[in-house]
Formats: sequence, C-alpha cells, structure tokens
Amino acid sequence: MISIKNLKKTYKGIDAVNIEALEIHAGEVIGLVGNNGAGKTTFFRLLLDLIRSNEGEIISKGNIVTQTEEWKSYTAAYIDEGFLIDYLTPEEYFYFVGKLNQLSKPDVDAFLQTYLAFFDDAILNKGKYIRDFSKGNQFKIGIVAALLSNPELLILDEPFANLDPTTQLRLVDMIKAMAANNSMCILVSSHDINQVSEVSSRILLMEKGKIIKDIAGGETAYEELVDYFKVRG
Amino acid sequence: MSITVFLSHQWLSFWRGRNANKSLAIQIVIGIFYLLIFLEIAALGIVLPFILNETMPGKDPITLFTSYIVYYFLVGLLARFQLQELPSLSIQPYLTQNISRKKMLQFLNVRSLIHVINFLPLFVFIPFTVVEIIPAYGTIAGFCFLIAMFSLVINNHFLNMYIKRKTVDSSWFFLGVVVFIAALKGLDYLKVLSFEKTSSYAFIELLHKPILCLLPLALAAYTFLLNNRYLKSHLYIEELVSEKKLTISKNYSFLDKYGDIGEMISLELKLIFRNKRPRSLMILSGVILLYGFLFYPRYVETGNYAALFLFALLITGMFITNYGQFLFAWQSSHFDGIMSYNINMKQYIKAKFTLFVVVCSLQFLLASFYGLMSWRILPIQLAAFLYGIGVNSFATIYAATFNYRYLNLTKSASMNFQGIGTMQWIQSLVFSFGPALIFYLLNKFIGFWTAVISISVLGMIGLAFHEMLINWLACQFNMRKHKILEGFRER
Repeated sequence: MISIKNLKKTYKGIDAVNIEALEIHAGEVIGLVGNNGAGKTTFFRLLLDLIRSNEGEIISKGNIVTQTEEWKSYTAAYIDEGFLIDYLTPEEYFYFVGKLNQLSKPDVDAFLQTYLAFFDDAILNKGKYIRDFSKGNQFKIGIVAALLSNPELLILDEPFANLDPTTQLRLVDMIKAMAANNSMCILVSSHDINQVSEVSSRILLMEKGKIIKDIAGGETAYEELVDYFKVRG
Repeated sequence: MSITVFLSHQWLSFWRGRNANKSLAIQIVIGIFYLLIFLEIAALGIVLPFILNETMPGKDPITLFTSYIVYYFLVGLLARFQLQELPSLSIQPYLTQNISRKKMLQFLNVRSLIHVINFLPLFVFIPFTVVEIIPAYGTIAGFCFLIAMFSLVINNHFLNMYIKRKTVDSSWFFLGVVVFIAALKGLDYLKVLSFEKTSSYAFIELLHKPILCLLPLALAAYTFLLNNRYLKSHLYIEELVSEKKLTISKNYSFLDKYGDIGEMISLELKLIFRNKRPRSLMILSGVILLYGFLFYPRYVETGNYAALFLFALLITGMFITNYGQFLFAWQSSHFDGIMSYNINMKQYIKAKFTLFVVVCSLQFLLASFYGLMSWRILPIQLAAFLYGIGVNSFATIYAATFNYRYLNLTKSASMNFQGIGTMQWIQSLVFSFGPALIFYLLNKFIGFWTAVISISVLGMIGLAFHEMLINWLACQFNMRKHKILEGFRER
C-alpha cells in the first residue's frame, strides 16, 4: 500500500526522519513507538504531505504523495487540534467532512449512531463549538471524523494519550475490528507500550529518525520494548 | 515578586511573541504610524481653541469645550467597548505560583491601565488646559481641571472593565449608550433640556471652585473599588473570562446545492461570522460603503474622477483587500486539516475566488445607489468592480500564497498588526494606487470613457481566463504549500 524509499527530513542538520526503506501493507495495524523527538509525528506529517522531505519519496498506491492528490480520497488522519475546524459545532464538522467524501447528511447521521457509545453522550447536540470542548473530547471528534470517510489508510498520533480509560479500551477494540473487517491500514503512534503491543500487528521502534526495530506485535513485542526503554532510561 | 516583574514579563511577551517578530522596517512603519496619531491628537489640543473660534465666532472656547465633555466621555466609553480587552488571561500562569491575591489584583489593575486609549485624552486635555484655561482661570484651577479629567478617564476605564467582566455580551450596553447619547442630543436639539449648557455650567463651576474636582476623583475611586471588589471575589480563570455565548448555529443550507465549492463557501462564511477578527473586518467592509457620502460629492464637483475611482475601488473591493490579505491565514489554526481533507486544491482556490465575486457583487449593487448623486459614478464603480474581481482578486490570492504568518482569530481587528508582513503593506498600496494611476493618466491624456473602458476590459480579461488563472494559482499555492504550513504551525 505504501512504500517508502530513502526518506529523509533534517532540521538544522539533525535527522528528524531517516528511513531507508519501508513497506506498509493493507490490513496491517502498525504501532509506532519511540521517545520524544524520535520523529513519529514528523513521519506522519511527511505521509500526509504536510512537510517537504529533503530526500526520498513516499509512494501511496503507486502514486508519489507529493505530486498527486489522489491519496487524499482514501487517507484520513488525526494528529492534533490542527485538524479540527474549531469554530464549527461537532455536527457541522462531521457533515463538512462527510460532504467532502460524498456522504449525505443522513449517511453521516447513520454513521454517528454507531458511535454513540464512544461519544458517551458528551459530543452531540451540545450546542457548543469544537473550540469549547475539552481536549479529550476534541480528540474523540477528530478520531470519529477521520473514520467517517471509511479510509483505507488511517493515521492517528497518540490517540490514547488524551482519552479516558474506557474510551482507550473501546478504541483498541475499534482499531482491531477495523483492520480485520475492512482490511484498513492503520498507523498509530503511542507512548503506552502495553496498549500499542496489544493493538498492533507490527511495531516500528523509532530512535533519532531511524527505524531501529521492526517486529511483530503481541506479548513478546511488549517485553522487547520494555527491555529497550528500560536501558534507555 | 513585585509588580514590576509582572510588567517586565508582559513587556517580554510583547516583543518575543512569535508574531511580534516582524522585520525592522515594519516596526518602524508602525512606530511612525503611532507617532503621527499622537502628534495629530496633541496638535488638535493646541489648535482646538482656534478651530472653535473659527467655526463659532464670538463664543467662549472654554464654554464650548466644556459643553462637549460629557459627550466626549460617553463616546469614549463606546470606543472602549470596542477596543479594550480584559487582560485576565495574562495572569493564568501565575495563579498556581506562590503569589498573593493582592499582588495579582494590583497587576491586573495596572496592566489594564496600560492602553493607548488611556493616554490619548492626555494629549488633548493638557495642551488645551495650558493654552486656554490657565491664562483665564489661573494655575490652580487648570491643575484641578486636569485632575477632574484624569479622574473621568480612570472612571471610564474601570467602568468599562466592570461592565465587561459582569456581562456576557457588552453589545447591549453599547446599544444602550448609543441610544442614551442620541436621546441627550435629541433633547438638546428640541430645546427641551440643554444638556450641553448643563455640562459647560458644571465644568465652569469647577473652574471657579477648584475644590469640586474632588467629586470626579471620588467617582473614579468608587468605580476602581467596585471593580477591585468584584475581581477579588472572582479570581478564577473561568470567571474572569466572560462566559461564552451559547451557539446560535446558523446554517447556510442554500449553498448545499453547489457541491464542494458551496460547502467551502459556507465554511468560510461561518469562519467570518463566528470569529471576532474576521467579523470586525467584515463590518469594516460594510462601513466603507458609506465613504461615498463623505468623498464622492467633493470629487464629483471638482471633476476629479481619478480620485473618485480610487474610492470606488475601495468601496467595491474592500473585502478583497481586507479579507484576501490573510486568505489562507484565516484558517491557519487548522490548516494541517484543510491540507489533508479530501479537498482538491483547484476547487479550494476556486471557492475563495467565488467568495470574492459574491461579496463584491453585493457591495457593488449596494454602492450603485450612489448613482443618484451623479450618473458618472456608475460607470466608474462598474470599472472598479470589474477590475476588483477580474484582476485584484487573482493578484490578492497570489500575494496570499506568500503570507506564512499564523493569525489568531479571536483577537480584535482594530490596531491589530498580527500576521502583517512587508508584502501586505506593499500589496495594499500597489493594488489600489496602481489602477488609480492608470485611470488618472488615461483620463487626463485621452478621455474619461477610454479610462473607464480600459480598466473594465482589464477586469474582463481576467474574468474570461479565470479557469486558467485558478489553475495557475493552484500550482503557485502547491509550490509554497509546505512553507505556508510550516509558518502556520509556528504560533
């Protein structure tokens, strides 16, 4: 689905991202871990063509991301509040994103019905603009808006960090189900190695812009990661 | 921690704010701009007696001046509603530190006083007192008069703060004060009750018995204490910032049938009407429509059509220049999102262009009533309108692709230079004076109709090739997209 060749992004001579080769396939849930400054968010922004790489290219379904816009139709992301239009109400925002993906209002309403539990009655019909919601609730809005277009590639930056425990667990289940049923390709970054090893089928460990470990998810991955981070600390 | 530390932090935040980091040239231009305003107002204070003598000969300048003081302060209160903001949020980082509430209160009060609007009156009252009052009534009277005036300024200041803190929405007070002023003026006009006479009587009485200046002083002290007591019991962030209004969600559903472009325009309309800064720009673009009443008659009379054209350009195209200079920056807080949603860049640019055309057409239609003043205004405005949407619109979008500065939508627009770079200054000059110069030359050397038609044709050429121009603009935008994104992420 995505293949990366010799991708390099430097800030003031220091490598932020430096990936020689990476292949990502449909149906994979990829957990991206690494300490602060490892380059996780920069990597995500490169995938979305939000920053220009110094070298190399990202090929999404055969097209170079920097040269075409087709990837936008099957890619959805939530990185931070910079993805939310904060002067809209959540409903207006969902309708807007839906419309961009050829979904009518009833379509969007039907979709939102399936996320009522996830919203925990804190999002819809509140008569508030997005800017007046708490950070956690803004994150919920962002994640659901990203799912709205039923993307083939979903990118979530530290989704667990801002959510309450109940929602975290729900999100883990949702991610697993989406990858299995829709063969969606999902990239998730996280500092919670426990959750990330549970949810991911494949884990990439980043350090100073490089991918230094590429391992399968699960129990053994958790132990391997704990060993790595312990030594670092 | 003394209050000077607070103030020095504010000073640093002013100069180190990411957006304050403008080039030296811009800072000098802004500095000169402020200096000019101050000088003009100070000059006004000195020449005011002469102006009063000229316009109403035979009347005592001091009587005239004092008769308007109450109006002055009422209008001043209106200006404060618009221009002054509560400095509450600046104390947020200190609330959890080991600082006494008393200090915090002192800081909030002192900080709020540092505002242009509190210093401007001094430039009028001091020169006037020195030139007029002291020679006539003596130094003590003059001094006490100044004390009275300063007290009233302080009173106005804290009254405004108090009202803003107490109420969710000060616009009702605004309206109330407007009605009050109109009523006073009306009573004066109908000679029912002369408020102006009362005002001058009171203040001249004060000049005779300087001790009376204690009255305004007491009033100022009272509003200060009122404000202080309220603050003391509400020193929590959520209570300091006036409550948010409940959403009145307006939907522009008539735009639904225009597909993605309609959707994007409706998004833009929501942006304009739900955020303070673009909203005040929009209101300004409306107010500019009234400029015609001020300037057109003069130029129609003298036959100065080039100048008339310059104002026609402003009147029909203010929205393009005002809104367009920050075309992308309006969305800077969520530009990452805009760039990764499923939006085609050509359509994105086209939506912006369409918005320009729609708003300008509206302005043009409204401005057409000026045709009643002189029929010549109509062709001139038509030419200005066509040039605006056919040339200026594209040029503005092009210029906007060079604007990499983040913009905070919730700050008020007046006197706000955030997000303005060198490019924007040059732009507003070139875009308005350029075509006006062409018009001037053609009108002078060939003729009125040649000028009108040439300018209109320029606009129509732009409109005829709009698809091509939009494609080209989308390419230009894509070339600088990453730079724009990077700039907007720096807040």
